[in-house]
Amino acid sequence: MSSDSQASEGEVYSLNMGPQHPSMHGVLRLLLDLRGEEVIRAKPVIGYSHRAHEKMAENRNTLQFLPNTSRVDYLSGMIYNLGYCQAIEKLLGIDVPERAIYIRVIVNELNRIASHLLWFGTFLLDLGGITPFLYSFDDREEILDILDQVTGSRLTYCYGRFGGVTWDVDETFLTRATAFLARIRERLHMYKQLVTDNVILRERCTGVGVVSEALAKSYGVTGPSLRASGVAYDVRKAEPYGGYDRFDFEVPVLHEGDTMARFHIRIREIEESCKIIEQAIEAIPEGEILPKKMPKRFKLPEGEYYFAVESARGHFGMYIVGDGSDIPVKLKLRTPSFSNLSAMPETLAGTMLADTIAIVGSIDVVMPEIDR
Amino acid sequence: MPQTLTQLLDGSVLAMPIAAGLIMGMLTVNVLMLVWAERKVSAWIQMRMGPTEVGPFGLLQTLADMLKLISKQLITPSNVDKPLYHLAPLLAFAPVVAAVALFPFSESTILVQNDYGLLFVFAFGGIAVIAIFMAGWGSNNKYALLGAIRSVAQNISYEVPLILSALSVVLVVNAMGPTLSSGDGVVAINGLDLSHIVMTQDQQGIWFVVLQPIAAIIYFISALAETNRAPFDIPEAESELVAGFHTEYSGMRFSLFFFAEYTNMLIVSMLAVVLFFGGWDGPVLPGPAWFFLKSYAVIFVMMWVRWTFPRLRFDQLMTFCWKVLIPLSILNLLATAFVIAVL
Amino acid sequence: MSDGLQALADLTSASEEMDYGKTGLHQRHTASLENVLKVGKTFLDEGYILEMLTCQDLREKEEVMRLCYTFNSLDAVDRHLVHVDIAGGLASEQFEAPTMSNLTGGANWQEREVFEMYGVTFTGHNELERLLLPEDADFFPLRKDFGRIEDADE
Repeated sequence: MSSDSQASEGEVYSLNMGPQHPSMHGVLRLLLDLRGEEVIRAKPVIGYSHRAHEKMAENRNTLQFLPNTSRVDYLSGMIYNLGYCQAIEKLLGIDVPERAIYIRVIVNELNRIASHLLWFGTFLLDLGGITPFLYSFDDREEILDILDQVTGSRLTYCYGRFGGVTWDVDETFLTRATAFLARIRERLHMYKQLVTDNVILRERCTGVGVVSEALAKSYGVTGPSLRASGVAYDVRKAEPYGGYDRFDFEVPVLHEGDTMARFHIRIREIEESCKIIEQAIEAIPEGEILPKKMPKRFKLPEGEYYFAVESARGHFGMYIVGDGSDIPVKLKLRTPSFSNLSAMPETLAGTMLADTIAIVGSIDVVMPEIDR
Repeated sequence: MPQTLTQLLDGSVLAMPIAAGLIMGMLTVNVLMLVWAERKVSAWIQMRMGPTEVGPFGLLQTLADMLKLISKQLITPSNVDKPLYHLAPLLAFAPVVAAVALFPFSESTILVQNDYGLLFVFAFGGIAVIAIFMAGWGSNNKYALLGAIRSVAQNISYEVPLILSALSVVLVVNAMGPTLSSGDGVVAINGLDLSHIVMTQDQQGIWFVVLQPIAAIIYFISALAETNRAPFDIPEAESELVAGFHTEYSGMRFSLFFFAEYTNMLIVSMLAVVLFFGGWDGPVLPGPAWFFLKSYAVIFVMMWVRWTFPRLRFDQLMTFCWKVLIPLSILNLLATAFVIAVL
Repeated sequence: MSDGLQALADLTSASEEMDYGKTGLHQRHTASLENVLKVGKTFLDEGYILEMLTCQDLREKEEVMRLCYTFNSLDAVDRHLVHVDIAGGLASEQFEAPTMSNLTGGANWQEREVFEMYGVTFTGHNELERLLLPEDADFFPLRKDFGRIEDADE
């Protein structure tokens, strides 16, 4: 507490938060300069779970890279896995059978809800509310069970195949998914009464950590965090992929840009995802889940390609450079949390220490996705 | 029949050891039960089972935990301020034990009879702040220091509405008459004597929670803050400060803090029962049974609150105290004094 | 192309329309090192965001290190890929480009990532340090001559 350097800087002292800290999600490390409880400067230190996915992509063929994708973001692994499949399909001009499109949409949105539920629980845990965490995990468990039934895994799915999906879904899956929708809607009503309307939560969140529209755009913030800042940008609407243009859903937008707005956006996104799943279950056709004719090797045509999907945290982009072989020359993964977190130093400066936790929690960072 | 245990043991050299042993035994059982209850209540609120394996309903789980903590090696981090670091757990622990001795569990079950029991309870409560700050400062850890600073600011602030709300009750007690009939006959009424507060409620046939509802609410909120319970558990806010002032403590030293925390819960609940809920007053069951039943009911509400609400921010906590609770409690005190003067 | 982007014609060479349905890109431009900031400013002034910044190691074939910027509009998708070539063969170690981090905050971390993965120094960047790799890393793993991962294991 009494080193010379700290004494010379007067009242400012630095606090190292993480990578081992109860509320730093994963292995985020924040170097904070504090004056009392006020944060003067915040510097995120990342890279503790860097696994060189981009290097691995240049080392193996397109099919071998498929299991990697869901490890990039383990909370919305399905979206990443299927997103990668969709990118490769677009490059190679593979047509996906109708049934596979609907299955993909259902599992994607279930995965999105699971991711948002996990965020809901951990965010409230950051604010000191322990009980909602267990309720949302109970709900999430149901999704994991449903997805486990069809994919065989609970977190790092490798369900997608170029051209479709691995296994067909059965009636039980659809019944369970429908039952889950009824359950989550009931739960959302309870969450609203118990959590969203709680005066302490509102006091903690309203006006805290405002990310203005200009700031969000400057840092390339996407996903719910961007939509809470007043920009109606959702890749599912902006560049419809995987049949999302067939479904009727809204992109919730709020203009406050504060922690409370980000909270509301995610809750409303769960409702929108429910709507999509409902429509997909209703309209799912019978048929094949993989195309009849498939190339033996997935050779990437020469050229540059960019393909984006909306993950639970925002715009996940893949920039692929092919040279005619089945190993990409370059595969860049543009992950949303990376950009979202990069806006934090500017947002956190001037807030209270307790707000720092709330704000970092509210942008929903997943460290493996940032470190890749 | 001797009126108090002190009188029973008066003159015996064994008086002090026996009294201390009784308190320690009672408190240990109480803490073990409270921790078990906290885990069961939180499990019930969170759709879990809680402890089930050790003993019936997992009742012995906390005993096992305690044995584990006792048998752990005492680790002293290398850069701590050793005297402060070692003394702090003891200083946190001793006053809460002493404070319990002052409570009248029934008209005849008082370990230490003191005419100014209420003052002593608050005085002992004040010592805990020093212990917390010693722990935070002595640990030489930034999280611990931040937790200690928050804790001192919070505890000192919330003591003001706590005492003011208790003072309203004292005014009412004193206004109830110049004398009071007790087991010894008629004695002069003394609002600072814990048993007199209860006896007054008993004889008037009315609990002070009815006469002083605002004071009761203020007392309960301040008591939550005094014991660092959620939503006021800011000094040990896990998500920010890891474990606050006891971040660096482990083993038995940690358990002493833990022990003090849970005993503190019991003390504020017992004081709430004495001040507002008629103490040992109740039909059929013996006095101590009612006293503890009521205390545990208050504790249950504290647990319920803890597992339901998120945590406040530190500045909101202080604002709430100084701008809402303290003016309100002063107004309540003035209104009480005014009504008493007019009547 | 919207009117505000007309200035790009003077700043870039070899602009070409791309097949969006196939490649996900609307246009591809090539800009020189001197013009890259002006190109960036043109896009940002039009409300485009810097969506992605990465690099390609083409030292072996074309004797360049190629920075790849994509700019996109959040209102209506319009994705532009901008190539900026930094000359230098396998032998050259020093690659420099001007930083865009003063124009848009998003460039800050992405440039740091390119710096540590490819060894491109962004002049004017105020905290150009290692982002994902350890602070003392002295290699540039995404350069092609770093080798395959299997080789590195041996």
